[in-house]
Amino acid sequence: MGYEALDFYEVDSLLSDEERMVRDMVRDWVDEEVIPKIENACREGVFPDEWRVALGEMGVLGAPLKGYECPGLSYTAYGVICRELERGDSGLRSFASVQGSLAMYPIWDFGSEEQKNYYLPKMASGEWIGCFGLTEPDYGSNPGDMITKAEEVGDNYILNGAKMWITNGTIADLAIVWAKLDGVIRGFIVEKNDPGFSAPEMKGKHSLKASVTSELVFQDCKIPKNRILPGVKGLRGPFSCLNNARFGISWGAVGAAQACFHSAKDYAMSRIQFDHPIASYQLVQNKLSWMLREITKAQLLAYHLGQKKDSGDWIPEHISLAKMNNVDIALEIARVARDIHGANGILDEYPVMRHMANLESVKTYEGTHDIHNLILGRYITGIQSFTRGI
Amino acid sequence: MNIAVLLKQVPDTTAKINVSNGKVDENSVSKWSMSPYDEYALESGLQMKEATGGVLIAIACGPERNKKMLTDAAAVGADTLIHISVDGILDSIQVQNFLAAVIKNNEVDVVLCGKQAADTNAGSTGPGVAEILDAACVTMVSEVSFIENKFISVRPSISGTEKVSTNGLSVFTFDKGVSELRRPNVRGIMMAKKKVIETIKPENLGLEGSDSERVLLKAQNSPPEKEPGQIFEGVGEIPTIISKLRNEANVI
Amino acid sequence: MKFTIIAETNGDLLHQTTYQLIGAISNIGSKSTVICPNGKGSSEASKIKGVEKIISVNGDCFDLFDGSAWASAINSVCEGTVIISASPNGREIGSIIAAKRNIPIIQDVTGISPGITVTRPIYSGKATETLEISGESVITLRPNAFENADIGNEAPISVVDQTSDLRVAIIEAINKASERLDVTEADIIISGGRGMGSVDNFSHLESIADSLDAAVGASRAVVDEWGMPHRMQVGQTGKTVSPSLYIAVGISGAIQHLAGMRSSKYIVAINKDPDAPIFTIADYGIVASWEEALPILKSELMKL
Repeated sequence: MGYEALDFYEVDSLLSDEERMVRDMVRDWVDEEVIPKIENACREGVFPDEWRVALGEMGVLGAPLKGYECPGLSYTAYGVICRELERGDSGLRSFASVQGSLAMYPIWDFGSEEQKNYYLPKMASGEWIGCFGLTEPDYGSNPGDMITKAEEVGDNYILNGAKMWITNGTIADLAIVWAKLDGVIRGFIVEKNDPGFSAPEMKGKHSLKASVTSELVFQDCKIPKNRILPGVKGLRGPFSCLNNARFGISWGAVGAAQACFHSAKDYAMSRIQFDHPIASYQLVQNKLSWMLREITKAQLLAYHLGQKKDSGDWIPEHISLAKMNNVDIALEIARVARDIHGANGILDEYPVMRHMANLESVKTYEGTHDIHNLILGRYITGIQSFTRGI
Repeated sequence: MNIAVLLKQVPDTTAKINVSNGKVDENSVSKWSMSPYDEYALESGLQMKEATGGVLIAIACGPERNKKMLTDAAAVGADTLIHISVDGILDSIQVQNFLAAVIKNNEVDVVLCGKQAADTNAGSTGPGVAEILDAACVTMVSEVSFIENKFISVRPSISGTEKVSTNGLSVFTFDKGVSELRRPNVRGIMMAKKKVIETIKPENLGLEGSDSERVLLKAQNSPPEKEPGQIFEGVGEIPTIISKLRNEANVI
Repeated sequence: MKFTIIAETNGDLLHQTTYQLIGAISNIGSKSTVICPNGKGSSEASKIKGVEKIISVNGDCFDLFDGSAWASAINSVCEGTVIISASPNGREIGSIIAAKRNIPIIQDVTGISPGITVTRPIYSGKATETLEISGESVITLRPNAFENADIGNEAPISVVDQTSDLRVAIIEAINKASERLDVTEADIIISGGRGMGSVDNFSHLESIADSLDAAVGASRAVVDEWGMPHRMQVGQTGKTVSPSLYIAVGISGAIQHLAGMRSSKYIVAINKDPDAPIFTIADYGIVASWEEALPILKSELMKL
């Protein structure tokens, strides 16, 4: 009774051999090393360090990046990796998204040659963990008004401010921090032992419990001048990172939805009420059939977006649509799956409530569902509706 | 050292087997995998390769889909991939002759395979190939190493295990090994995809590759339905249950 | 059609399986020649109905197990279709004899009829197949799948001396303490649940497990509450198992537990509550306490 991913339209048959092999590698690892340990990790609220080691050994971190000892896979392969990881847990996928798309990618795209050579090999191997500091306590959907700032003092930059909701923060060896230098948003690499930097963990989450979430605090944090990312200015920097992370999420959500479908179907087939499996009742079949329909559509969106990303023929709005839709349906599927499981659905014997709680975060982070709606609204009408007034 | 590992592709042990029209429907098998004991043979072969600086030759006999399994073997470190391409329903001795011929052509020093494959669970291939090659054969080993020109292997004995040695060309069939199986990684996968699989047809070996004339497949069927359970009050029927489990179910 | 049966022995006696091999061939209306490696069990075999003659093959090569040496010695006197037990040694000897004679081998057969047509399980019992064999072959028969032949015969015994070279040398015997099998690998699992009362009582399950070469499993309740190792846990959040035989003792059978073991081939449940859900999937249910049932279970198993 191994895991058989729902793939009604055999979308995976469109993958290359290499992408399929990567899929199987990650899927087997998730089966053997993640599923048996995830509930415990959630209860204890830790991200098991052995997962970091394994992801590095498998060589999947920073999947689509080329050179500097990075994997050099396709974006589609990166998507497949995210999907398989998130079938295990959204927290695990978050770890990989942050490491690859939010920490490695900006160094790879905007970093100096020296920075790339120094950081990327260590990050691809999982030896160093990265995090990404954009969101602030008072600036979530509106990062452009961030207050964290950097000042040039002699041979250093001095950072002041605070970031919040930072995945991997406390366990990270380095942070990509976005701060205003002379009023312009710039990226800085802050290492964990830099003076004036701390990353206390945020506790009490009901969601993404196996993932570390932190604040980043900068109190006259002093970093050498060669830690600025030379290649980008303004919001384009963090947004290009987010585009890649959101792309991964649009695949990852499919994995969470597949896991919920799998569990709901198994449960419905074996749960007997009124002398028959509940799967034989029309109301349950309706739910399962709806899940199949939505998962199939989400798979097609993710796959086609992967192809567009690999060919370079994409716009950020394409990613917004997929992220928004796929997380939305995954969350709804998790809720319906929980319902099919009846009371058992609230137990950690089954993955559904964990996925459901996780997906509440996924719906909100990396651009909330509503913000993606507004991005598409602006695309359709040409009128931005994020802010009021002029 | 040339290390040959014989690999068989089987329906994944977790896959459902569907029978239709008196035949197992292979198209409905959701996942084909390397037979589990062969994985231990492969792992042991990789370790021997690393210890001796040898070459690992992975050999599979079967239809086209076997190529995927060979590429999987390359992703963890197999150097040479040989696919004996056959589609027919072959008997044991046909397969053994094909494998032995390929082994001979490759000047192999040691042959490793699983103790049995997860489809027929027969266990004929290793000993049969050993006989054709006039090689020593040790079955159900958990580890093999090459020390001072001898192969030292560990196999079960009545009282536990025993270490045995063999000289010259030897065939070892693996039970569950003592080592953890290694996982592939992205680098291995990217190398593997560049590896060329050498495809050989039985005709190239001077052998007959068509359906066996000696063993004809008449039918494949779903297993007989289990009888509904019987519940007994008290312990009086335990002897009957034990005897049924032994004599009818053959499980003890 | 001539049949040669290679006897399986147990010390100096015949193994029960040998009676079954002879019985299977008698049932399809043929007499058989029985080969006794190193002469063991030859006089016993001569008394079994259906045996035409006994050949004792004697030689040094039988001092230790080397399938290839055994097969060489035995093969010299084999004729026709060769029948041997599908035990590990039988499978190996059979495979080598088949290769020597350049004939096919069909292993693990559970049914045989004249012609010869055989059936065997495939895919670990998820299907069966029927094969028609023409010409000579080697066939291994699954132990306990056939009826024993009766006693009542006086077949002649001849002795043949054979030498063949050993290719395998034993360099060290390692006695190992019985090591508990893992639930995912065992062919038989005996599992306990809350009904066992306490962790200490698992020793009763362990002693039965030892006699069956079985693994000991546990329900989630006892793993969580009594601190038993998680690797023993069978069920939704534990291991999914499908052994040939699963014995559930004091396990009520929550749906989560059933999810992990329902694909077992045979399920025996012992529980004092007749309404325990485990009985709904059991092949054999025993409504009794473990204290009453386990001693009897054990003594019956010891008789085998």
